[in-house]
Amino acid sequence: MLVVLAFLTIDSLDASRAGGRHVPNYDVINHHIGYTYDWSRRLEVPVIGPTEPLFGKTYTLQEATDLMSLGKLVIQSRACMDCHTFFGNGAYYGPDLTKAWLDPAWNQIWMPMTGSKTRAEAMVEFLMHPDQYPTWTRRMPNLHLTHPEAEAVVAYLKWMSAIDTNGFPAHFGRIETQN
Amino acid sequence: MYRSQKLALRYFVAAITLFGVMTAAGLLSALYYIDSSLLYNVFDFQMAKILHIDTLVIWLLMGFIGAVYWFLPKELGREVVGIWIAEVLFYVFCAAVVIVAVVFIVVQYGGSNEFSMWFINQGRKYVEAPRWAAVGVVVVVLAFVFNVTATAWRARKMTGLLGVLILDLVPLAVLYLDAFPKITNMSHDLYWWWWLVHMWVEATWEVLIGCLMAWSLMELMGTSRRIVETWLYIEVMLVLGTGILGLGHHYFWIGTPQYWLSIGGFFSALEPLPLLGMVVHAVYDAGANHMKTTNRPAFYWVLAEAFGNFIGAGVFGFMMTLPQINLYSHGTQWTVSHGHFAFWGAYGCGVIAIMYLILQRTRNAPEHFDSRAWKWGFGLLNLGLVGMVGGLLIAGITQAIYERAEGGSTLQAFVVASEHPWFRSAMYARFIFGLVFALGYLALVYDLLTIGRRVTVAAPAQTAPA
Amino acid sequence: MTSASLFATSVALGLLVLSGGAYGVLYTLGVARSNPLLIRTSYACYAGQLLLVLAVCWGSPLASLWKLFIAVSGVAYGFIPPATWRLLETLHHNQAQ
Repeated sequence: MLVVLAFLTIDSLDASRAGGRHVPNYDVINHHIGYTYDWSRRLEVPVIGPTEPLFGKTYTLQEATDLMSLGKLVIQSRACMDCHTFFGNGAYYGPDLTKAWLDPAWNQIWMPMTGSKTRAEAMVEFLMHPDQYPTWTRRMPNLHLTHPEAEAVVAYLKWMSAIDTNGFPAHFGRIETQN
Repeated sequence: MYRSQKLALRYFVAAITLFGVMTAAGLLSALYYIDSSLLYNVFDFQMAKILHIDTLVIWLLMGFIGAVYWFLPKELGREVVGIWIAEVLFYVFCAAVVIVAVVFIVVQYGGSNEFSMWFINQGRKYVEAPRWAAVGVVVVVLAFVFNVTATAWRARKMTGLLGVLILDLVPLAVLYLDAFPKITNMSHDLYWWWWLVHMWVEATWEVLIGCLMAWSLMELMGTSRRIVETWLYIEVMLVLGTGILGLGHHYFWIGTPQYWLSIGGFFSALEPLPLLGMVVHAVYDAGANHMKTTNRPAFYWVLAEAFGNFIGAGVFGFMMTLPQINLYSHGTQWTVSHGHFAFWGAYGCGVIAIMYLILQRTRNAPEHFDSRAWKWGFGLLNLGLVGMVGGLLIAGITQAIYERAEGGSTLQAFVVASEHPWFRSAMYARFIFGLVFALGYLALVYDLLTIGRRVTVAAPAQTAPA
Repeated sequence: MTSASLFATSVALGLLVLSGGAYGVLYTLGVARSNPLLIRTSYACYAGQLLLVLAVCWGSPLASLWKLFIAVSGVAYGFIPPATWRLLETLHHNQAQ
């Protein structure tokens, strides 16, 4: 069993490294990210689209990597995983953040609420002052993120939304009720 | 009593104390779901949860370590080698736990820098403790492994049971090294994190509790060594045979290849089978002894262990493990329901059983090792746990249906599911049963302090013959 | 998968394992106490488990290979309690000798 696990580990780590077949490299944040149904695999997959600058800027691979490193450090230092889930892992008090970048609520609710021109700016504003922009009785506490830290987290979430998670979560953003 | 056994008792005191902290933190965590304005921006959900899950891990580890320190000198017929190191490190361990908890309560989190990682909060689930404390845990565990192996070496003796334990301790210790890194790539981070978490609770801890239960069966029912060791080998092979690649059930959705859905799902679905064997074994032993024993609380807690493990880990796990189901159940309170039941059944009940077993050997009236309080503790704790788990299951299924299967997993879907009457009622029920559990804890503590102590009764006055 | 089939399939899978557990417990108790009623009840539980296996195989939207796996494991569950009993008896008998 352990031998099989060792081989599968080598392959899995290769597939899931930044730039591997399941995980895009960090400069994917310069692109539009979509999520559509793949009929050959019969599940949703991320779609990396045309250029779409983040915070009005196009990042080099090194800049994007540094930004991700900071973003992950913020996520750990503020223990985000103890309220939220990432790929469904973590805590269940706050929503799952796997596809948070693609959540329609940013455009529909927070952009008007924060007076931001872009989704990314709305996310930054919210992350820096979540107690000022509540939308529900269950509120996110203020974790005293600086502006660079909030930008790093937003970039991290954009990169995460481009990861191929074998279709999790299913039909994100589409409501499917039975007839 | 050997020094190592006196240390075991100290570990049990620490373990039971942390069990209380875990329960209190759990109640607080549950309360936020009912009143989300509670302590807002003062002490929020994530800190209560950190205290709850970290004390869970530590109280169980302390229970395991204490149990080994108790059984080891009896197994080898001599005092543990280097016991003074373990005695010192016990106090260091306790002090570290207190410091980490105080920092979690007062400071809570730091900035995005290495100082936070080393001294405040690492923010990775179950291993949030800062790196300095993780170093401390490594030292304690290494000393523990040294104590066990050096004593076996010096005694020039090895039993099958001890051999399994020593072989198990090595990966258990090595896996903890994942408590240190900060890996930028979340897929890689979670890949290795699951090696620590799964290979602890679904592999090495299972073997460890198997060894402890084997020692306990020899003590509790006088079962022969050959029988418990043979059973232990079979159990270990089955648990590891299913559990090692059953690790794959955590690799469905984290950005790893699609073959994990088949491999992980298949081996994970096999995991209940050895647990069924353990239940049969437990009933066999109970039946063979016609439910008689000199230690009724330990006996009942051992039965609770076998059944709780089967239902909590086996039944609840199987309900949600197939990938087509897991796609919807993943990351909901359904997982919480399974986790609570499985941890309790597989480990909580076992550690309590061992504590009762050992206490009987230390009290001054071992033949009167019975009470009313243990029954209250047993009843309330298990009723409370089952009630909590039931509530969480309802909440989780509500989420799986309304948030994921129908709702599209957005924030709006999350809110809709969380505001659904079933979810809200389930959270109230969970809290109330949590209170029942807490009452059971108090009864347990009272009983552990008092059971088996002889009560001196004044001799009746002699009347002179008429 | 619709929400109704999600709910039904997961409940069936849980009940499937639970009835397997009931079979194991009742069978072992029945043989230990030489109680034919308990043994017959245990077989009824196993029959219930097989019915649940059939229900999952026939009615759930799981893929065919998973249904085959569940069917095979349903059969395997049938052997575990008597095989475990025989193993334990052999171990204890050998020890007594």
